[in-house]
Amino acid sequence: MTQQHDEGTVERHLGRAIAVHDVTHEYISDAGPVVALEGINVEIPGGEFTVLLGPSGCGKSTLLELIAGLRIPTSGILTIGDARIVGPSRHRGLVFQQSSSLLPWLSVEDNVALGLRINGMPKDERKKRIAEELERVHLSDFAQHRVTELSGGMQQRCQIARALAVDPEVLLLDEPFGALDALTRESLQAEIRRIWQETGRTFVFVTHSVEEAVLLGSRVLVMSPRPGRVIHDQELPFAHAREPITEVRADPTFVNQCHELRAMIGAH
Amino acid sequence: MTPPLQTTQATDGRAPSWVSARQRGQEAPKGSIPSWFYPVAATGTVVGLWWALTAVGIWSELILPSPSQVWHAFVQSVTEHDGRPGLSGYYLWEHLWASLWRIVRGVAWALVVGAPLGLALGLWRPFERFAGPIVSFLRSLPPLGYFSLLIIWFGIDDTSKVWLLFLAAFAPISLSVAAGVASTRIERINASLVLGANNAQVVRYVVLPSVVPDLITGLRVAVGFAWTTIVAAETSNGIPGIGGLAWATKKELRSDVAILCVIVIGITAVLLDYGIRQFEKKYAGWYGRW
Repeated sequence: MTQQHDEGTVERHLGRAIAVHDVTHEYISDAGPVVALEGINVEIPGGEFTVLLGPSGCGKSTLLELIAGLRIPTSGILTIGDARIVGPSRHRGLVFQQSSSLLPWLSVEDNVALGLRINGMPKDERKKRIAEELERVHLSDFAQHRVTELSGGMQQRCQIARALAVDPEVLLLDEPFGALDALTRESLQAEIRRIWQETGRTFVFVTHSVEEAVLLGSRVLVMSPRPGRVIHDQELPFAHAREPITEVRADPTFVNQCHELRAMIGAH
Repeated sequence: MTPPLQTTQATDGRAPSWVSARQRGQEAPKGSIPSWFYPVAATGTVVGLWWALTAVGIWSELILPSPSQVWHAFVQSVTEHDGRPGLSGYYLWEHLWASLWRIVRGVAWALVVGAPLGLALGLWRPFERFAGPIVSFLRSLPPLGYFSLLIIWFGIDDTSKVWLLFLAAFAPISLSVAAGVASTRIERINASLVLGANNAQVVRYVVLPSVVPDLITGLRVAVGFAWTTIVAAETSNGIPGIGGLAWATKKELRSDVAILCVIVIGITAVLLDYGIRQFEKKYAGWYGRW
């Protein structure tokens, strides 16, 4: 467990690039070995909002977990800056699809405090950080609530606050809005776009929704299943937009872009 | 085209009667039968039948004493008579407390030893493979099976009884805690890892709190098991003790005292279980909701 923090000792500057070199990942299922990812070569530049888009089973979540360091690839290497990723680190935060990743025995603020406690932040400083993060995700009024008492959307806000509290260089989001209803989802999309614009961090966002990808990403990597591969890589124009999400959605360029991407996924 | 509606099921929002109002998220309807009615009615029915049977007089009072005789035995058990306190030389509460105090000591030791052992079983796979079968073996033994051995080792006084309860109680606690460790949600462990937690911090911040509900469940099983065990174990040198008192009645044919003991033992078991469930609600209320 000691070597996993090596990359943290490298002098930290915002926005180091993440590189994936020749990564193949297999796991063992009941039916035998499954190739989740094959021959992945990707460069994720610092400060970008990169979306991994693809149908279920294309290995996009596996790729995210590899970047998080929660899995070690069967072959190939992953790097951040010039450090190799050998395990999880607080510099790469993760927002899970399941809000059950929150600790149900703790209040909202204690959940947000988790990473700060782990990293030994003194209490006064911690209080200030928690207040800031709760403010950022509009949960200040719910600081004392149990996380089990929150709605699904609020639970995901709480997860985002918890991940951002330790000030990670990269924020990885694994279908964070996948389980939410359409209206809640839209409001959280607006939130995450604002947070990315405010913080300028490297975001890597997994989704199977073409609209979500085009709406949020400054770049999209399209993946296809069995075995998981990256089949397309392009820049997207709407990540820096300031107008409300509903307006972006109504923009003809947006509609066209979604249409093109969808056609391409269908062709595969 | 929309498929035709299934018309065999009621669709007007009426749930089947076994779905409780609480499950449906409703208040119990007003004017309905209050919840205390049923247990009171059940007790009334049993006592009524009992009273009727004795009133008819099919069996002699020695075989089936009447409710009033048992009440008389109860009064005897809490008062001094013929210059001697209670029954068999002790008041009823002294008998009950003697049994409970054995339970408290046995289960306390079981917690002190069993909970860390369970953690070790859950956290360390080779140890689980090594010690797991031993714990499972101990758990499967009826405690009275090894009671003789404990008496030979520790004598007929309380020490052997506390040992017995300890051995009976620690296995369920250990196995429950080990199962709790194994079922810790992986996404919670991962969440702490990506926040920078080391192994010790994962255990401290995620595994230990996750295990609390399992620990309490194990404790509940252990206390129930210990209670049935102690009552039986008090058959040898168990005075004072509620089991010892129940056992002693056979010599004097005091079936009224025997029934009194059964009632006291049963009520105590129910209250112990209720107490632990309240504790569970307070400290593991989140469990099952997620």
